[in-house]
Amino acid sequence: MSDAVERFEKGLAEIDGGFAQQYAEAADEESLRAINARFVGAHGSLTSLMKLMRELPGDRRREFGQRANEIKGKVTAGFDARLAAIAAAEREAELNGPAIDVTLPARRHAPGRLHPVTRVKNELLDIFASLGFEQADGPEIDHFANCFNKLGFPPDHPATDEHDTFFVAGSDGKALLRTHTSTIQVREMEKRKPPLAVVAPGVVYRRDDDATHSPMFHQIEGFLVDEGVSFSGLKGVLTVFLERLLGDEIEVRFRPSYFPFVEPGAEVDVRRPGGAWMEVLGCGMIHPVVFEAVGYDPSAVSGFAFGMGLDRLAMVRYGIPNIKALYDNDVRFLGAF
Amino acid sequence: MLASYRWLKELSGVDASPEEMAEKLTDAGLEVESLTVFPVAQGVVVAEVTAIRPHPTKDKLRLVTVDHGEGTQEVVCGAPNVPEPGGKVLLAKLGAVLPPQKEGGEPFVIAERAVAGVPSAGMLCSETELSLGEGGDGIYVFPGKGPAAGTLLADALPAGDTVFEIGLTPNRPDCLGHIGIARDLAAMFKVTMPELNVGSPPTYAEGVSGVIGSKDTFQLQWSGGREVSIEDAPNGPLTLDVKDTARCPRYGAAAVIGVRVGPSPFWLRYRLHCLGVRSISNLVDATNLVMLEWGHPIHGFDYEKLRGTKIEVRTAQAGESIKTLDGVERKLNDDDLLICDGEGPVAIAGVMGAANSEIGDATTNVAIECAYFDPRSVRRTSRRLGLHTDASHRFERGVDPNAVPAVLARAAAVMAEVGGGIALAEAIDIYPAKIEGPVVELRHSALESLLGVSVPADEPARVLRALGAKVEPIDGGIRATTPTWRPDLGREADLIEEVARIWGYEHIAPMVPKVRASRTGTPARLLFERALRDSATGAGLHEAITYAFVSPEDLEKSAAAPADVKLDNPLSEAHSVMRTSLLPGLAKAAVHALRRQAPEARLFEVGRSFRKGQDVLPQEATRFALLLAGSAQDGFEHRDVDFYDLKGAIEDSLSELGALRFEFASEAPAHLHPRRSAQVFIGETALGFAGELHPDVADALEFGGRRAAYAELSVEALDAVRVARGTPLAPSIPRYPFVSRDVALLLDQERPAEHVAETLRSTSALIESVELFDVFEGDTLPDGKRSLAFHIHYRDPEGTLTDKKVDKAHSKLVKAAAKELQAELR
Repeated sequence: MSDAVERFEKGLAEIDGGFAQQYAEAADEESLRAINARFVGAHGSLTSLMKLMRELPGDRRREFGQRANEIKGKVTAGFDARLAAIAAAEREAELNGPAIDVTLPARRHAPGRLHPVTRVKNELLDIFASLGFEQADGPEIDHFANCFNKLGFPPDHPATDEHDTFFVAGSDGKALLRTHTSTIQVREMEKRKPPLAVVAPGVVYRRDDDATHSPMFHQIEGFLVDEGVSFSGLKGVLTVFLERLLGDEIEVRFRPSYFPFVEPGAEVDVRRPGGAWMEVLGCGMIHPVVFEAVGYDPSAVSGFAFGMGLDRLAMVRYGIPNIKALYDNDVRFLGAF
Repeated sequence: MLASYRWLKELSGVDASPEEMAEKLTDAGLEVESLTVFPVAQGVVVAEVTAIRPHPTKDKLRLVTVDHGEGTQEVVCGAPNVPEPGGKVLLAKLGAVLPPQKEGGEPFVIAERAVAGVPSAGMLCSETELSLGEGGDGIYVFPGKGPAAGTLLADALPAGDTVFEIGLTPNRPDCLGHIGIARDLAAMFKVTMPELNVGSPPTYAEGVSGVIGSKDTFQLQWSGGREVSIEDAPNGPLTLDVKDTARCPRYGAAAVIGVRVGPSPFWLRYRLHCLGVRSISNLVDATNLVMLEWGHPIHGFDYEKLRGTKIEVRTAQAGESIKTLDGVERKLNDDDLLICDGEGPVAIAGVMGAANSEIGDATTNVAIECAYFDPRSVRRTSRRLGLHTDASHRFERGVDPNAVPAVLARAAAVMAEVGGGIALAEAIDIYPAKIEGPVVELRHSALESLLGVSVPADEPARVLRALGAKVEPIDGGIRATTPTWRPDLGREADLIEEVARIWGYEHIAPMVPKVRASRTGTPARLLFERALRDSATGAGLHEAITYAFVSPEDLEKSAAAPADVKLDNPLSEAHSVMRTSLLPGLAKAAVHALRRQAPEARLFEVGRSFRKGQDVLPQEATRFALLLAGSAQDGFEHRDVDFYDLKGAIEDSLSELGALRFEFASEAPAHLHPRRSAQVFIGETALGFAGELHPDVADALEFGGRRAAYAELSVEALDAVRVARGTPLAPSIPRYPFVSRDVALLLDQERPAEHVAETLRSTSALIESVELFDVFEGDTLPDGKRSLAFHIHYRDPEGTLTDKKVDKAHSKLVKAAAKELQAELR
């Protein structure tokens, strides 16, 4: 019995006298925890002493229990303090250690880019949407009549000279690759009743292939048909559109021109103050022959239409010198916008 | 169309600077694209030769004494054509400034210098040196007496001009002549155009056939009042016969006899020179001048070369041919209109003459044709023959049928004048049915409502009269008989444009109209296409746009369906058929990128493919195509792209549409690798195929051994999925934690991972997700087996899960795996 008391006394004294020193010698968390286990681990000295408790005489147990708990408290506090000190030192070391090389390449998933023609197209669609125009589309291969006759092109007329057309083999000249997006004007009007406020971008084709022409390119067609639509309204819509697209400091000029499907017809030029005029689009009041062709009564409704090339707009906007670059699809080019 | 400022000024009576004129022309819709100045030399005067002596050392040089009005001086001259004393020449005095010889060159200043040892303080000039034309060898010598010595060049010759280059629209044939342009100018500047000088018109015999020179004598019109007998024309009277009055509604002919072919006078040469027309001879130049003045082509025949002294206008017979002036033998068909003499064709009507009746150096008598041919007929012939001439350009746009007498008179007058001949007073005019301009009413209310502004009440009548219409007032507007030189004016809208453009578009104030909103708005499919492009870029793909026409060979290399929509008239074999797959275009772009050392190409395109349809129009299908090639990068590691990179790009692009399913395609399309490709689904909707390119296809497309992965999905199918999916509803966010258990299973290698995951998931309602986190294949495993390890997340939405519940569910899962998947727990 007294042997147990003696061992207990001795054990407690050893622990009490040694733990602080040992903790202080721990250099890092891992060794600190190893040292801590020597005292309070499953087989640690303090744990063993606790197990010895039941061998103590009953009248001393309470006293020893209190003393053992007291020591345990000191050990735990010592551990916590040392742990905090080690953590603080490590944090301090981390904050004062070598800096990372912030110039190494990023880890990222680089997004791709939209084609420059798509970018201008979206821009135009957004502006026209805000002006009340909805989007439409149509087939790239269409009837000859939708491309020419219904748009008032007289048969065998030089007005078609600018529309050097690709025809579909075996269609006897009846099916062609549309030469302009005005085919969509015809199709929408045949399908629906006024009021119509529509813009229709799309791919068009002409048999031209040289430094400034691509046999496939892009246009956007727009038209407004309702009662009482006037040339003044045409000028209003297109002026606002061009100011939003190019900045409100630009000057806009409407110059008489000729397209078989409009009358009066105009071309629109823009220039920056002091700059040279640049032609951007063609437009006009929809010709009565077009209304008659789609079954509208030209005495009841009027309308305007306009069309512009998207490729040249993209070229001007992004400083692209050659239209061919738009269709070469060089990844260095595509990734630049 | 090139137009001379000097000429327009004469014809229109408008007194304005070239710049002012150019601006008004543009405002009128005759867009002036450029101005070219033809300058006049400064310090050049008329000088009279008074003496000539030889040069002391050089044979070819002479010392010429001239009187320049303020005294005499001696100059050294090397020209072979110095006139005898009394002749007038042009002297560039000391300090004279000659225009630069080349565009952008320096002007040449005359200084005193020694020519072969003899000092010369001036220069006798050629037309070339004065930039007045191409004028042959030698100095300019005034014909006849010439102006007084000392007269400035600008006063002595009609020199100096500005030429407008006008971008003419095809509806304005009248402006293919200076008179038409002048008429618009006069209207714009509100001046009255002077009377046109056409000379006295000949008297006409009318009918469908007739004879020129059927009377014994003819009144001389333009050459001094002598009487001339037709016997002076060696072959006697000329018979005219029009067989096809539909293709040739009007044919007029006149004759000029006794001409002498030679160079044109200066004024004519210079006018043509400024307008970019080469001077040929006085007679040919005269026809060109009249064409440029009236916009109406005329044709001159050598009278004596017309066999049988006869002109017949008829359609060609099948198999007939003609050798045109350009030396080409042309095959004709029965849609072509011919001008024939007694034996055969002498011209393709309105297009080009033949060499057999051409005016040559020996021509002394000329028959002049001025006709109105059906524009469509001329155009068909000209296009079919690929023969576009100044004449066909004008005829196919429509010349003025009623200008024939005036043009003929003018042509005969000019020819007689410059050729020194006599114009016969009687001509033939075959014009069985008079063509009248349409009578069109213009209501003032319609004008104002279409333009959207109020227009001064008298402006419409003023404008239309100035443009040549006969105008009378009617109730609420005017009635106009439109001139036949304006075939583009046929209805009210046309007159509204005329009034608007001459009054000025700038008077129409812009006003943004109320746009009535439609009920439908932009179709959702179009918005979806746009969103698809955006999400594809989000997946790291660049957007490409490739040609929709490809070569049959490219489709074959791509193992795509052969094209059944072909072009009749492709630019080349390379762009001759409509694509059935977007692979050829994207592959080209990717190969191009890799060849130019790009590490990778990640591309997509939303574009159409074409198949033969039921109707005359093909079926167009919109495709979403993705192509990955080159390296994929994991950190600093590079490796070739593979199926899984492509799968990721597709999933990232389409994440909004719901869960994608990739099923191994037992019958993969020919362009894909049979072991490394899949069919792609959302739900039960098949979208298309995705996979690594078949190595043979990759080789054919010249990927140079690099791997590439390609998918082509149907946008229509994707859109159907979008419609079926509807609007996604907000999920309920779980409040209780999940419990995770892992399981590693040894399975047959062939068993798809997704199938395993799906089987595991179906074993308990508590399983929220089954996530594959490791695939192990290797030597330590039995043949044909692989190990798949999954995190299984268990969650009870109603409460916290107990270990007991999870254990029960997990052991059920393990049992099911063994039974249903023949899996062995590892």
